[in-house]
Amino acid sequence: MSVPPVESTFYDAEYETMPRDRLADLQLELLLDTIAFTYERSSLIRELWRKARITPADIRTLDDFREKVPFISKDAVRRFRDRHADPYGGLLCLPPAELTAIMSTSGTTGDPTLVAEKWGGASIGRPAIMYRDFWGMGVRPGDYFSLFLFTFRGPTYGFVQSLDAVPLLFDYDLDEIERLLRLSIEYGPTAMYNFGGTMILATEQIAARAGIDPREAFASYRGIVWAGEPLGARARALARDWGMSLFEHSSVGDVTASFECSAHDGMHVWEDTVLVEGIDPDAVDHRDAAAVTDDDARCELVATALTNRVAPLVRYRSDDIVRITRTPCPCGRTHARIRTVGRKGDEVVVAGRSVLPVDVWSAIDSIDACRLGLFQIIRPARELDELRLRVGYQDTAQSRLSTLADEIAAAVIAAVGVTPAVELVPNAELLRLGPPHKIPRVAAR
Amino acid sequence: MTSTWGVGQYVDRAGVRVAWDVSHAEIRRDAGGATTRLEAIGVEPGRRVLWCSMLSEAAQFWPFIIATMLRGAQLSCADATRGEAVRVAMFTRQMTYHAVLGVNGALLDGLDDLGRPYADVFHEVCVLGARPDAHDRLVAAGLRPTHFVLAGPAVAIGDEPGAPARVDSTEWELHDVDNHVAVTNLAERASRFNRTATAICARQITTETFVPISSRGN
Repeated sequence: MSVPPVESTFYDAEYETMPRDRLADLQLELLLDTIAFTYERSSLIRELWRKARITPADIRTLDDFREKVPFISKDAVRRFRDRHADPYGGLLCLPPAELTAIMSTSGTTGDPTLVAEKWGGASIGRPAIMYRDFWGMGVRPGDYFSLFLFTFRGPTYGFVQSLDAVPLLFDYDLDEIERLLRLSIEYGPTAMYNFGGTMILATEQIAARAGIDPREAFASYRGIVWAGEPLGARARALARDWGMSLFEHSSVGDVTASFECSAHDGMHVWEDTVLVEGIDPDAVDHRDAAAVTDDDARCELVATALTNRVAPLVRYRSDDIVRITRTPCPCGRTHARIRTVGRKGDEVVVAGRSVLPVDVWSAIDSIDACRLGLFQIIRPARELDELRLRVGYQDTAQSRLSTLADEIAAAVIAAVGVTPAVELVPNAELLRLGPPHKIPRVAAR
Repeated sequence: MTSTWGVGQYVDRAGVRVAWDVSHAEIRRDAGGATTRLEAIGVEPGRRVLWCSMLSEAAQFWPFIIATMLRGAQLSCADATRGEAVRVAMFTRQMTYHAVLGVNGALLDGLDDLGRPYADVFHEVCVLGARPDAHDRLVAAGLRPTHFVLAGPAVAIGDEPGAPARVDSTEWELHDVDNHVAVTNLAERASRFNRTATAICARQITTETFVPISSRGN
């Protein structure tokens, strides 16, 4: 697909604004094709479906799919991998020799799992993720585009070049921020991917030390994408002050990703590439998984790849708590939008009260010594007698640490009504826990 | 189509990262040179290569990633950071890699954090491409690393363990500037290099080879 005319609002107007009834027909067609393809080739899918006593012939409609098809989880993939000594966890649908690359998931929730890739022939769909999103933010051929990223997902700069834009390449590292600010002033890039809360918060001090005005550095950007972790109130306030036009971005159950559009009212999921479902987070398996169909209601995200022909995930239970809306978006696109709430595996219940990382985030990053918002909830079990927090700090003398712990505790009590036990560690100790764009927000000990 | 592939960086003699405009034509030429280099170290169809790099180094690494595909091999990627040691260890535990290239001191620090002996992680790897700050640590662990060096914009790889690091002599000429490797580009590039001193300290510097001693920033 060639790059559209620069005046086009959409990268792929036909698909991005497709009427929902046509989109549903397309999804069913792709889903049935995916099921047949995957059942024939994926050992894990075949094993699960045989246990559930179904075959592709039993699935004719979306209702059949929702009622009969078992879920996959990351743990199921890991178990299959270990049981069968199959590094691809039973998901691979091609002879291994046909793969171009073997990448891996971020590893935030444990051992990274492998992601098989065949470049230039993996998808039966049209270019969607990133292309449609960054075009919508205003990236056009000839623009410079800051990539502030890691490499473990492979050469992401390829999509920038496919838009005929020019990537400015930075490491996802606090030490790169001054260089980013200087080159942003010099080259005038129009978009950046990915500059999260930790980076925004660190920019304040780094820019001041370097004598750079962040407003000048970010003036050329039409869109700056953040992801991985929630943005605290402090980061949002700085971004607003500096004129940063922020767009949220999130994964969609390891199948694809989603981005906010100009309406900033949820993240679009390109439903011609993925089928998203919402289920009751407390469901044990597909047999008792009530579908959550109310618009914008809290649910667990389940995703099925519709166009991946290398290792498609079918009914992948993400562990992510989200809200899904399919109402028309003011931007003109018809595809669903999701809003992230948190990870099911991150929740602790302290004396009957539910606490997620997002609930204590702003309390912690409101304190100057903790402005990078680095912390972990210690979660040996879901239900706890005491909320234990490991919190990163900077610029604080040893003699003041006890006072700092008291300040954090007071802020957390005000936010969630629970008294925490606070362990303080230098920021560097938490940053080391990577992956670089997000530290694990819960730790077993 | 714009002629610029991207803006990368190289580390100069003072340890400063210098922005570096790179053209599509350079990338295509460098991919050709990289294919020859990978063939020389045994990268063949059916084999795997794990690249350890940073995004800011993509202008140096991308030609080699293309070359890995052109050789019919499969590639994996990890960041060259302390926190990514877990990923490198995961890859070498689950798959057999013919080459792991770009291993640096930060990754070895991360393996130390994990309590993973280097020899356990890399014992099945035929070509272990070590940056200057990792090379001697791997030798001390009983491994036989090959020099893998980013000499500013140029990538230098040893022919075998212990051999000097070699650049593509059709693209680069090396010079000795106070025991630092300096580079001059021989073919047209978007950015010009004329005896540009890099952060790489070395001995036995010839027009195309050197033996690295230590480096800053690489």
